[in-house]
Parts: sequence; C-alpha cells; structure tokens
Amino acid sequence: MDVNFRKIDIDQYDEDALLDSELYEADPRDPAQALNDVKQKAASVRSSLAKGDIVGALTLVLEDAPYGPNLDDAKNLNLQTLVSILNSTKSSEIPGVIKALSTDAQDTLMKYLYKGMALPGWGDVSGSVLLGWHEKLTEVAGTGCIVRAMTDRRLV
Amino acid sequence: MAPPEAFSLSQQTPVTCHAFNADRTQLAVSLNSSDVLIYAREGNDWKHIETLSEHDKPVTSIDWAPKSNRIVTSAQDRNAYVWQQTPDPQTGHLIWKPTLVLLRINRAATYVRWSPKEDKFAVASGARAIAICSFDPEGDWWVSRLLKKPIRSTVLSVDWHPNNVLLAAGSADMKARVFSAYIKDVDKRPGPSVWGEKLPFNTICGEYASPAGGWVHDVAFSPSGDVLAFASHDSSITVVYPGGPAVYSIKMSILPLVTLTWTTEESIVAAGHDCQPLVFAGNQGGWEIVGGLDDPQSNKASGGSRSGFGGASPVGRLNSAAFNTFRNAAERGISNVPGSPTASSSNESELYTVHQNTITSVRPYDGVPGNVTRVSTSGVDGKLVVWDVSAVTPISATGLAGKLGKMQLR
Repeated sequence: MDVNFRKIDIDQYDEDALLDSELYEADPRDPAQALNDVKQKAASVRSSLAKGDIVGALTLVLEDAPYGPNLDDAKNLNLQTLVSILNSTKSSEIPGVIKALSTDAQDTLMKYLYKGMALPGWGDVSGSVLLGWHEKLTEVAGTGCIVRAMTDRRLV
Repeated sequence: MAPPEAFSLSQQTPVTCHAFNADRTQLAVSLNSSDVLIYAREGNDWKHIETLSEHDKPVTSIDWAPKSNRIVTSAQDRNAYVWQQTPDPQTGHLIWKPTLVLLRINRAATYVRWSPKEDKFAVASGARAIAICSFDPEGDWWVSRLLKKPIRSTVLSVDWHPNNVLLAAGSADMKARVFSAYIKDVDKRPGPSVWGEKLPFNTICGEYASPAGGWVHDVAFSPSGDVLAFASHDSSITVVYPGGPAVYSIKMSILPLVTLTWTTEESIVAAGHDCQPLVFAGNQGGWEIVGGLDDPQSNKASGGSRSGFGGASPVGRLNSAAFNTFRNAAERGISNVPGSPTASSSNESELYTVHQNTITSVRPYDGVPGNVTRVSTSGVDGKLVVWDVSAVTPISATGLAGKLGKMQLR
C-alpha cells in the first residue's frame, strides 16, 4: 500500500518530528538475510504445493513475513510466492484453508490481499482471485481483521 | 435482569462525554459544542437546568469529583476549567463558577480525570504531554506539571491508580504507559506496588504496545490497581499483569473498542464502534469475552418490522443498509435518490442494538470500585444508556459467536 500521499515533507520544519521508526520495531533481519529466508521458503512452498498441502504452504509464507522499509526485494518475492498459492487454490477449498490458519496468519494474509489489490497487473496478481479470498477471509476473521491490516504499520 | 434504561439527550448531535455527580441526580454532558450542559433527574427523565459556557472550542472531556462536588472540563481550546458551586453575590443562588487552569500546552486538551483523592487531576493533550494539575493555595489557582517523556503522539486517555500517584495513559503512538504523577507538596510517599518502589515524578513504570499497531483509545487500572487494561484501534483489548509478568491480548473480529471500564477485579465492560457493550472476564490465567450487555436478537424479535442491519449477518456490517444501497446501485441499477424514499427507507439504517452509533464512553454508574453493578454509556447517537452489568447475554446469543477472536499470550 502506498501510504505516502503527502508530496511536501512538512516534517522537515519540525525539530521533534515523529518518525515511522518510533511507531514500530523494524524487521530485525538485514535485506540480504530476509531475501535469503524468503527464497528458501519459496522452495519449500513449491514442494508443499506439489503435495497439495495448501495450509502448510500458506502458513510457511505468512510466518515471519518480511516487513518495513529496505526489504523491498524480499517483500516482492514473498508476495509472488503467496500469489502463486492463492492462484492455485480451488475456490471451494478457500474457506477450509482460511479456518486452519492462526489469527496472526489471517491478519498477515489480509495485509497481502490489500497489497496485491494495490498492484493491479503486477506479476500474476489477479483481482478476481484476491477478491474471492478477501470475501472468504472476511467471513471468517471479520471486520476486525481488515481494521488490523489497515492500522498496522508493519507493512508487508 | 433489568432492561437497560435509555435516554435520548439529543437527536442530531453526538454526546461527546458524560459525567454524573455523586448521587446520580445530576449529569454533565457536552453535545459536541463548547458548552457543558447540566441535567437534573426528574422522575424517569433528564431535564436541562444549566449551561456552563467558558470554553470557546468543543469540549472534549468532563469529570465530576464525587466527594468535593467539583467539575473539571477540558476542550480543544487548550484550556481546562475547574467549576465550583458558589453563591451568587446578588441573588444568593448557587452557580457554577469557573477557575482557569494553567495547562501550558499548545494543542487541544483531549481528556481529563480527577485523582481518587480529588486533590489533583490529569489532562491529556495533543501536545504529546499530560498535565498533572494540583491546587496552589498561595497563588489561589491550579498549577500544572507536564509528563512529557517518552510520549511521541497525542494522548487519548488517562486513568488514575487508586494510590493517587500512578497514572496510566493511552496514546496515538500505539502505546499504553504507566507513569508516576507524584507531586511532592501534595502526595504522601506511596507504598511499593507491582509497578515499582521508588516513584519520583515522570518515572515510567510500564510501557506496552498494542498487538497490531493500533493507537490506544482507552486505558484503565483494575480496582486494586495491580492490573492494566487497554483497548486499541487494531480491534483488540489487552490486559497486563506486570507482576506475572503476563500480557493477554484478545484480537476481535469486530470493529474496534474505544472505551472500557473495570466492573470487578476480574471483569471489564468495553464498547466502541460496534455499538454494543461487551463483557470480558478473566484472571491471571487468561482472559476471554463472555458476552454482551445488549441483546440485538431479542430487540430484533420485538421490533420485527425493522429492516437493515441484522445481528445474524455473517459478515457483520458488510450487510448493512449502506452496503445494500451501493450493491443495488451497482448490480441492479436501482438508486435510492434522496427525496424519493421507498416505504422502508425511513428506518432502513436502524440497528438492532440500543445505541444507534459508536459508543464513545462507558463509566461506572452504580456500586463501589471492585463491585460495579451498573454502568452508563454515551455515544455518537446522542443517547445515554444505563446498563445492569449482571444482565449478560452470552455471545452465542448475540450473533457474535465465532466472530470474536481468540486470546493470545504474548
């Protein structure tokens, strides 16, 4: 999500400006390490998918998802991996898969759905697939899950 | 199980905040304006008897000290006033006389609360500071000292510890904190507690982040003062046992809660954007939601002709009247043009809950700290409602079953 809607940096005139870094703890990993983690996960996700284990694959990709600034490579790769899982799931299986996820994983999934919707046509992102998942996820996790995806500054 | 008593104080404007006097015969509210209105109980209704006008921007918070019968108000004009009843020199009638408080803040005052002994009060503000005010008999005015560090954003709420020294604050920098508001000339040295032993002014006794980065709307100490609870905008409520140490967060699947109060040492009533008060219960072993004080299902049954938002809707508010309006427009090309209402449109947006909009304040109404038997709520719909806290509707019956998230131990 592009949240930088202000084009003029008014904070430069404020000596005591509130910085993003004060509002959340940054991802402890450095960019190379995060990218490496995500690459390894992508490989295990492929083998999980080959076995048809969608819940396992989703849990893997949503656990320790890279967030925050400076990790764009890792974040993009993780989104790609996630989208490949979403696209290969039959729509009838979606509710069962979502119910099997932890609440934390559900929150992270919601963040990725919104990120995907903000990038139409990027990679294999398909709006209708994302909307299908969004509908099912909201039925299970409620509006609270959407609110958390919007408030959390640890952007995936 | 008495049904909730609902009073409609205004049709058009929200009730910003409310405060009762000690015996609950009078009520101070602000209806989203710069005036404070005093109401008196008359039979089963509230009658407007007096208007306190001194602020020149909207009033944000009111607190009425039960023992000393003084009212303190805060407003967006960066001021706070202490109101005291004094005889009018000409007529002899008792009138409320304001005293300005020197807050020394350069942003709106957002929230105000008397300390338990009523010799101090705390004013939260948008200036990243909390003003702790005490009376200076020599200057005959209220002076303030500011709690500043490490607050990084607007403070939205404060709550006093029963020992009159510690203060909890919830802030838009996603943190709930516990400070020492010890003032040398006013306070006796407090005994050691779970929050610490030596407590000079501005000691940070605890700092807790909301689980998913939501700003903290409301904070409250338990009746003993040993436990802290806060509600944040990530639709979660968190209970902190500093001695444990244990932190319990309940992530919910409904819209965020914005206000909460402890009813006993092991139960909390909280309310917010979902328009109904919810009851949480637990102890050091864990916390869970047990139900709601409102009963949308039976309200629906009794008002069968009402349409619109149903408590049983699988996706909560996604099935609201507004949503249906847009869906009809998008899918069927039907538009509800204002001025050509359909037969049911007059009450289409009516909710099955007692409150028709966000509840912004819940406060103890009846009972003593540790055994509160009734609570009062006010909200954006202009209503004031008094609820019996023992009349809990189990979540299975509120239509919220399965929608309320699971507890997590952090």
